[in-house]
Amino acid sequence: MSRLLLLLAVLLGLVAPAHAERLVSLVSNDTVEITSSFDGERMNFFGTIIPDAGSDQKFVTGPFHVVVVVLGPTQNRVAWQKTNVLGVWLNTEQVEFLNFPSYFHVLSSARLTDITDVTTLTTNLILPESHTLATSSDDWWKGAVFGRELVRLMTEQGLFGVQENGVNFPAENFYSARLTLPSNAPPGPYIALTYVFKNGEIIARKSEGFAVRKIGFERFLALSAVQQPLLYGVICVILALFTGWMGGVLFRR
Amino acid sequence: MQIYLPIAELSVNLFFLVGIGGAVGFLSGLFGVGGGFLLTPLLIFSGVPAPVAVASVTGQVVAASTSGALAHYRRGAIDLHLALYLVLSGVLGAFGGVAAFALLRDAGQLDFVISFGFLVLLGSVGTLMLIESTRAILKQRRGIIVRERLPNQHNWIHGLPMRVRFKKSRLYISVLPVLIIGLFIGFVGSLLGIGGGFIMVPALVYLLRVPGNVVIGTSLAQVVAMMAATTILHAVQSQSVDILLAFCLMVGGTAGAQFGASAGKYLRGEQLRGLLALLVLAVAIRFGLSLVLAPADVFSMAVMGQTQ
Repeated sequence: MSRLLLLLAVLLGLVAPAHAERLVSLVSNDTVEITSSFDGERMNFFGTIIPDAGSDQKFVTGPFHVVVVVLGPTQNRVAWQKTNVLGVWLNTEQVEFLNFPSYFHVLSSARLTDITDVTTLTTNLILPESHTLATSSDDWWKGAVFGRELVRLMTEQGLFGVQENGVNFPAENFYSARLTLPSNAPPGPYIALTYVFKNGEIIARKSEGFAVRKIGFERFLALSAVQQPLLYGVICVILALFTGWMGGVLFRR
Repeated sequence: MQIYLPIAELSVNLFFLVGIGGAVGFLSGLFGVGGGFLLTPLLIFSGVPAPVAVASVTGQVVAASTSGALAHYRRGAIDLHLALYLVLSGVLGAFGGVAAFALLRDAGQLDFVISFGFLVLLGSVGTLMLIESTRAILKQRRGIIVRERLPNQHNWIHGLPMRVRFKKSRLYISVLPVLIIGLFIGFVGSLLGIGGGFIMVPALVYLLRVPGNVVIGTSLAQVVAMMAATTILHAVQSQSVDILLAFCLMVGGTAGAQFGASAGKYLRGEQLRGLLALLVLAVAIRFGLSLVLAPADVFSMAVMGQTQ
């Protein structure tokens, strides 16, 4: 009997609260179109936290914290370190990072370490450094050092970032976040992961996909360069010969 | 006005691109060189990935040299026979250069080789040109009439086997040095994204003794043909030719070159060579310093295997 009570308590204590809230979220764009005048794009993420369908709660009680993680297509990346060899600076050390995101931004409603503990952040890949664990290096320390430097380089290019005041709560259970996708954001499939935290625990999560893609003439050029490289090269040369000839004709006195 | 470059995958100011194309075009028209050795570094410094910069400038060099080559062709100032030999060996060299380019990029040593190559090439050519032009200027000041060397004066290079007669250049010389020059310039040009005109002209004049009236024309014809082949090779091998980037540079470059050419009439030959030597040396020193001085950031990164 007491065992049954304990089981009930465990079920109530773990399962019921975890499913009590539900997240309804939206992304402002499902595609970001790269045109010839593409100079970055502003995106909005918003949503509301409501009682779960099965629960008998009428309203939700906070305080909630929301973390939005935006991930770009993954690539294999390599980080190099220069050292001085006989007076000349050379790339001598390298570490490869497999399936490394080409774009990674975290928006949160408070400092990440105030929202939850580092273990939760790392296992859910919310910290930038958590993406640097799959390396080619057997040396753990070297991998960690290069990983930190790679995150720094990506941050300097605007491709990585953590904005710890990026999520606002206009109402207790309604959040909105704004992200400006830079013009060098690589095209491909993107994913936006939204986590809702309460007392340091994830109580709801949701993921949405959106695509960044070249359209029209830009798409045509990029595709031809890959699919018809020979023709593309020949057309480049014809264009160059024509431009050179035109220049001579136009400016001849 | 921003323009998105589809292969470089970043957006750049259109006026900036046409502007640097024009400025470099002006200098190339003034000095009669392709200008690749200035454009490639400028693009890399302004954030364009090195492979895209090198491959796209190759296309721009074709455009920049075409109008000059056509003008010389009309005047009959091209030794087509000699140019053919140079182009054939040049394309062969370009195959090697493009392959080496891909290997070095994957090994992470491309930046070093580009810097080192520019340092050695530009440094030595610039120094030689500076010495030569300073001497000419000084002699002229002292009132000495400079007698140019006779074009068909022979040296040991001409005595090598496999001799061929080049009618227009009035030469009967071995093809081996011709092929080696073509091969070398093809390799270096495709690796560094330069036309190689500033190596080709001295090589033709001092090594092969090609007469002055066909040197520039032949060199330009060779640059057009070889760089056209290199553009196609880069497009096929690394797919890093950005046609939009190249076109913006071409438009600025061809316009600037015309103004440069007319401005060049106000300067004498040795003054022009002296100025060009200084410019070439400045770029060489810039690359030399980047090798020796401690870099601002010892870490760098790249995407592996440029697959889309």
